Amino acid sequence: MDHFPTNWGRPRNDAIDAYGTYPIHSRPKNDQDAFSAGVQRTQQPIVTGTSVLAIKYKDGIMMAADNLASYGSLARFKDVRRLHPVGDHTVIGAGGDMSDFQYLQTILDELTISEFTAQDGHSLGPAEIHEYLAQVMYARRSKMNPLWNSILVGGVKDGKKFLSYVDLLGTTYSASTLATGYGGHIAQPLLREAVEGREDTLTEEQALAIIENSMRVLFYRDARSLNKYQVATITAAGVSISESKHLETSWSFAEGIRGYGAQTQ
Amino acid sequence: MTSIGTGYDLSASTYSPDGRIFQVEYANKAVENSGTAIGLKVKDGIVLAVEKLVHSKLLVPGANRRIQTIDRHIGLATAGLLADGRHLSNRARDEAANYRETYNAPPPLKAVADRLGLYVQAYTLYSSVRPFGISTILGTVDEDGPGLFVVEPSGIFYGYNGAAVGKGKQLAKTELEKLDLSQLSLREAVIEAARIIYLVHEDTREKEFELEMSWIGPETNNTHLPVPQDLLEEAETKAKEQFEFEDDAA
Amino acid sequence: MPGMVSTSQPTQQSFNPYTENGGTILAIAGADFSVIAGDTRQSEGYSIQTRYAPKVFRLTDKAVLAVNGFAADGNMFVKKVRQRLEWYRHAHAKDMPIRAIARLIQTMLYARRFFPYYVYNILGGIEEDGTGAVYSFDPVGSYEREACRAAGAAQSLVQPFLDNQIYFKNQTPAPGTSFPKHLPLSTVLPLVIDSFTSATERHIEVGDGLEIYVVLAKGSTSLQGITSIRGVQELTATSEGERVFVIRRDLKKD
Repeated sequence: MDHFPTNWGRPRNDAIDAYGTYPIHSRPKNDQDAFSAGVQRTQQPIVTGTSVLAIKYKDGIMMAADNLASYGSLARFKDVRRLHPVGDHTVIGAGGDMSDFQYLQTILDELTISEFTAQDGHSLGPAEIHEYLAQVMYARRSKMNPLWNSILVGGVKDGKKFLSYVDLLGTTYSASTLATGYGGHIAQPLLREAVEGREDTLTEEQALAIIENSMRVLFYRDARSLNKYQVATITAAGVSISESKHLETSWSFAEGIRGYGAQTQ
Repeated sequence: MTSIGTGYDLSASTYSPDGRIFQVEYANKAVENSGTAIGLKVKDGIVLAVEKLVHSKLLVPGANRRIQTIDRHIGLATAGLLADGRHLSNRARDEAANYRETYNAPPPLKAVADRLGLYVQAYTLYSSVRPFGISTILGTVDEDGPGLFVVEPSGIFYGYNGAAVGKGKQLAKTELEKLDLSQLSLREAVIEAARIIYLVHEDTREKEFELEMSWIGPETNNTHLPVPQDLLEEAETKAKEQFEFEDDAA
Repeated sequence: MPGMVSTSQPTQQSFNPYTENGGTILAIAGADFSVIAGDTRQSEGYSIQTRYAPKVFRLTDKAVLAVNGFAADGNMFVKKVRQRLEWYRHAHAKDMPIRAIARLIQTMLYARRFFPYYVYNILGGIEEDGTGAVYSFDPVGSYEREACRAAGAAQSLVQPFLDNQIYFKNQTPAPGTSFPKHLPLSTVLPLVIDSFTSATERHIEVGDGLEIYVVLAKGSTSLQGITSIRGVQELTATSEGERVFVIRRDLKKD
């Protein structure tokens, strides 16, 4: 029997302080085992999702992400859901490593259940979910073991719209239009042009048209994107995530391109 | 009581010569001193109801809840020592969360009841601890439909169609047996549960009480929630009518 | 052998826990006031992440902290400083004096000497003796009290300007006169605004919005001047005498 409570549940190591000569609070740690050198941490994403877009509009937040999870340049999974509801007022959308995203879904589910079981009349809104995620992401980057994602958090609670970003470094920011990954370069300028100053007047139809147009441009230009995507709306009435939609695209212009490739005239 | 003075009742780790563990039987006495709790398993849902005895007028209405939520789809009601009930509900939450973590699926109530049974039973083995002074009703609705269990201080647990624990359990069970539980709708079950609690309370002529009720079923999207205020009031009004009728007859 | 790849150690591209989010901050101390300002743009590389992410924070009625560098570290650092100030309030029933906050910030930064908060801090406010103060820090806690300091992306543009206009560097006083030790608020505020419009003009990471915090000492003569400024907002929470104001201005968004 080891009489030192600080050692309970830890691997035994008689090479370190076998006779318990240290005071309890400053005992040397013996939790390094023979395998600790072989422990690996996420240094790069493996199965990845690309952009997520989100905007504010009259009734709340609209968010979109396609259904693709890539394995490098291989379009590996084409029916992946990258928008995920959390509680009754929030949706999160993630780009980056999909296994890390699934892990985040799991801990957020745990969190919402423990809040639900308290039955104290409080529920987590988008601001709380975002703050929690930011703390998790920042804590993991500080352990040099990041969760490789960029995430948008959107929602409506108590009549207030909320839209914010958080990523693998724990960086956060909010704006009336947000886009992760490639969308940050391609879609964000389009979204800003269409939305800024009109956050409280855009109708759902107008918002949807803006989102659809941006998703189409992304599909044309982002090689890791898919023409199958979902749209989430979060309003005072609650959360709804659409079934997968297909983008209408047109490629006939390719016929008219001259000057390079096989056709020179 | 025959056990007193024999010395066989001083520890949960000591049998009496005829094979009983008196500490567990005393724990059952603690349950019998408590306000009644009942559970109804009906066609498409579960109703839990508790006769919460209010020992002081100074208490805030709604304080000291005896019905707890364990998981989205699981509710728990206790009769016995209030603090023991809170401890066991915390344990139940941990077990439910642990099941989710391991299997990434909502825990079936049988699994939670099983683990709680093991936990409660462990407190009947050692001289250094006291058995739980509570009987616990667990209710759920999952993909296999509604489920209802009772965990006793001995750690034993059974599945039921209708369950009653606490002071008025005999009368409550008699009333539950009269019902055609499998044909009752959830709303009808709420009315019946309120009626039974009021009936057993009237029988004991105890002090003031509050009716505490929760349900799981289609109305709640199969989550465990308190019965809404308007339905609760309707059920209480109907429950009180049964006595007015009796008074007229008498 | 040259050119041979070592097989004994797997090579890994290691994770970089830092980034640089642009922006600029500055602070100037007067005789009985202190001005702390920062732009509100947050960027990474050539992308603007948001046009409004505050970098200047009111800590107490006599202390304002500006943070610049890696935004995630900055926000976490402000959160931790505020937590410590709250604990101090619970223990001592008063706000921590600014010179103690400055030393606290040094301790907190140096505690992370080998995994630093990648943040430049400038603390501005009023000392217990009623004088305006500016403390500036490097990321690992080295600090000093100064009359003015600029930090961040456009430090190299703004600091020389401040040296010239506040410290009168490279200027010679007219014969028989000397330069003032402290400038009045009415001179300082335009200097701050000009610093930021100029930085916005010449640095791509600076712009969008400007937040200027002004902390006045008890009975400061600058009070009449500030209340007449367009769009000024008072943030004072206690009635101890010091007063905090914020002035918000637009900067060019290109």
